[in-house]
Amino acid sequence: MKPRKPVMECRGNRLLWAMTLLLLSQFYGCLSFRIEKVNIDAEVQPLPQEFVVGKTTLTDVLASYGAPVDVVDMKGHFALHYLRTFYRGGSLSLGIPLADVLRVSPTLNATGNLQRFDSAVFIFTLDGVLADMSYARGTSQPLWETYWK
Amino acid sequence: MKTRWPGIGLLILMVWLSGCALFGRGKEYRPFDAKALERVKPGETTGTEVTQWFGAPTQVVRLSNGNAYIYARTLSKATGVWLLLVTLVNYDTQHDRIVFFIDKSDVVTHYGSSFEAEKAGYGMPW
Repeated sequence: MKPRKPVMECRGNRLLWAMTLLLLSQFYGCLSFRIEKVNIDAEVQPLPQEFVVGKTTLTDVLASYGAPVDVVDMKGHFALHYLRTFYRGGSLSLGIPLADVLRVSPTLNATGNLQRFDSAVFIFTLDGVLADMSYARGTSQPLWETYWK
Repeated sequence: MKTRWPGIGLLILMVWLSGCALFGRGKEYRPFDAKALERVKPGETTGTEVTQWFGAPTQVVRLSNGNAYIYARTLSKATGVWLLLVTLVNYDTQHDRIVFFIDKSDVVTHYGSSFEAEKAGYGMPW
């Protein structure tokens, strides 16, 4: 049979735990971490292989991609722009409330955010024939490495 | 002797779990009807008919060979959770869009549509 711990020692440990938890809970508002994600618009699909400059028409692109975010006049040509915006942000804030004791309260804030874009542009002649196209998938770029580039 | 530890433990737990959650929904509404697209026939439908059926466009783009009428509306959903030390926020915005290409004779030559607004969702930022 195991020897039982003295009652006083057991209560002392619990009190220590309670005090530690209460102390940690007082950091509420002093230490905070924020994670944010913003997505605007649906995914922009990569360019289909069947799209060919000089052959594909405005009808084909509208049927495949739907309505664009923007239509741009290019003096003799016009462009359809499809765009998805994807934002990630984070911040860490640490403050030590010592104003009552030292009249200063040191704080540290670190923030970072990264906005990436998926984008497709189709340029047409005035007859509605595809003259050029371009695609970029920014959201596939790695978050951490892209941020520090 | 009656112990006080469960009460103190509950109090600490309540302090730790203090926080709140947010669910938000924002809409930029324009009353165009997707079903009216069934009436649009390229080469026949006029720009005047488009504005009668869909209302005033959100944006008009002047092109060398006519105009583009863009109709758009937005649905945004926000989710936020504030815990003791961590705040998690997620926003998702999606659009319904229709674009009509109208030539100089005021006839619709092409149109395209995307209805994604109802796909906006609540969620966590990962």
